[in-house]
Amino acid sequence: MSKKFLSMLAVTILSFTVIVTGCGTQGSAPSGTSSNSSDTQSTAGSGDIKIGLPLPMTGSEATYGKDMENAIKMAVDEVNAKGGINGKKLATVTGDDACDPQQATAAANKLVSEGVVAIVGGYCSGAVVPTLTIYNEKNLPFIVEAANSSKITDQNPGNTFQINGTAVHQTQKAVELFKKLGAKNVAIVEQGDAYSSDLAKQTEAAWKAAGNTVVSHDVTTKGEQDFSSLVTSLKSKNADLVFWTAYYADGALLIKQLRQGGYKGSIVVGDGSSDPKLIQMAGAAGEGTYVLSPPVAEFLPSAKQFADAYKAKFNQTPGAYAPLAYDGINLLADAMKRAGSTDGKAVIKALTETKDFPGLAGKVTFAPNKTLQESNFIVLQIKNGQFVLQ
Amino acid sequence: MHAMTVFYIIIQQLVNGLILGSFYSLVALGYSMVYGIIKLLNFAHGDIYMVGAFVGFGALGIFGGALGIGWLGITVALVISMVLVGLLGIVIHRVAYQPLLNKNAPRMSLLITAVGVSFTLFNAVMVMTSGEYKAFTTSLGYDGISVGPVNITYTQIIMVVATAVLMLCLYWFINRTMYGKAMRAIALDQDACRLMGINVTKTISLTFFVGSALAAAAGVMAGVYYGSIQFYMGFIIGLKAFTAAVIGGIGSIPGAMLGGLILGLLETAGTQLPFVGSAWKDVFTFGILILLLVTKPTGILGKSEIERM
Repeated sequence: MSKKFLSMLAVTILSFTVIVTGCGTQGSAPSGTSSNSSDTQSTAGSGDIKIGLPLPMTGSEATYGKDMENAIKMAVDEVNAKGGINGKKLATVTGDDACDPQQATAAANKLVSEGVVAIVGGYCSGAVVPTLTIYNEKNLPFIVEAANSSKITDQNPGNTFQINGTAVHQTQKAVELFKKLGAKNVAIVEQGDAYSSDLAKQTEAAWKAAGNTVVSHDVTTKGEQDFSSLVTSLKSKNADLVFWTAYYADGALLIKQLRQGGYKGSIVVGDGSSDPKLIQMAGAAGEGTYVLSPPVAEFLPSAKQFADAYKAKFNQTPGAYAPLAYDGINLLADAMKRAGSTDGKAVIKALTETKDFPGLAGKVTFAPNKTLQESNFIVLQIKNGQFVLQ
Repeated sequence: MHAMTVFYIIIQQLVNGLILGSFYSLVALGYSMVYGIIKLLNFAHGDIYMVGAFVGFGALGIFGGALGIGWLGITVALVISMVLVGLLGIVIHRVAYQPLLNKNAPRMSLLITAVGVSFTLFNAVMVMTSGEYKAFTTSLGYDGISVGPVNITYTQIIMVVATAVLMLCLYWFINRTMYGKAMRAIALDQDACRLMGINVTKTISLTFFVGSALAAAAGVMAGVYYGSIQFYMGFIIGLKAFTAAVIGGIGSIPGAMLGGLILGLLETAGTQLPFVGSAWKDVFTFGILILLLVTKPTGILGKSEIERM
């Protein structure tokens, strides 16, 4: 009896270990509620100003997370080289949210327990929204650099500042683009998550409000590769423009299958798909696709120096959110200087009062709802395998 | 461009459903075979499909230069992947499952082990690929035949034909060879097989080899067809193929083929139907499947188990 019990116990412990280590380091798996010390990486010494960076370091959006972390670290090094803030050096602690709400919450709690005084980062809206109150409870200013769902704006407990154009800004740009392309029947495809769903719903509302038609609004499952039935459905509804509001991996497949299925209309994708990998994965089918993008370094005249420095340091071109990530740290440093301290409430007040802060992506002034006063989205098109500014 | 009338829509969606169903069928076969022979729901099977896709990707990368990335290169990559992943299936069986079978371990232990194997596989691939999507580039184009507004590419035709060929080969193997006979016998009564001199362990290993090879084939074809692979692609398809196997009657080979096709067709139908659409297609599909199971719990072609006391 005891031998059998022991072997069952051993199997249970072994499988539990496998599952826990599996949950702790994976990306978009059916994750549980594990939080691992391997989720945060810190470079801080004592006396340093610790800044927490919630970013997707694993999973499908890991390339964005790493890119933003690179730009942030570059900005931190530059600030420190100039003497730091009020005499103290900046240090960063990265928390891996894996673009998953549950892992994000675990990472947020870990960052808070490590004694960070501010939070900079946030790529996936779905991973940002559940963490807002966690940071607000400790009065930590949170500069959201990429995530732009209006859920963040609506649920902002008062400490959160979005320096990326929000879904509202992106919707405006989208509707402007649809009009320019002469579209009449627009089909919208999203993936049901906070980011894509928000952008899809807002675009549908705005397009209809302007007196136009939305022929279908579809929700696909993340990770499912087969869009053939959707393609046929869209063709049968005579959509002359398809707007994909989710991320690049599935977006590339949709684009391929649309063209493969003989779809001849325009394809527009939101900024979650604005990535060079979109071009690589969509291949020839990607030609002519329009992409709404955050201000990318290569299209910003002011960012040439930044882009060169980034390339020299990390041996690759800066990604789409690098300029914003860089701006976030500099904005925080500026606010801390103006506040004269790193006290959360004081820094939040200083951030609210920001006026025309010169960032790479443009001047930053916050509207009363703590989003940008002015949009900074741009329109790109894929031509000859490259993004070209429209 | 012709307007898509209802007739053409139905034809196109039938084609779509057939292709999708082929993938489900190939993976469902592995589930059914393994269940039929050792009553194990091999949760790792979806990840075998994923590993197959990556091995095929690797093989194409290695031989693509010499053989090109057209049909010849793809076929070679497919064969390499089937063999290697089939061998992986044997390794998994010998290392993870057979020791438990030898000790008459409870079913639950086998199930948990299968989950463990699944996590091990996809986490290993995730670490090795840094979670990135890999673009499966081939030189295949979109040429095909058009019947009005209905497009069927040559790639799609070849996929369906290849799947049919593989399934026919399997059918022949199971029903016309001694090995297949041994597999069917073991599914009926393991002890009697041993008495008859059949090496049960070796035959089970062979079952894993065949099942895994089929999943690997599906994986490579998915890579070629959809163009991108990722460490997590096995999860959804594993779940759906498992469902397809159950619907067709778990343990039944024709059942797995039928189940896969039905699932593929239901999904594509769901996307086109008003009030359903792609948002509700999975609810629609699985709702119908639940009804099917309620009316026939052993699946469409499943046999009710008679317990001899």
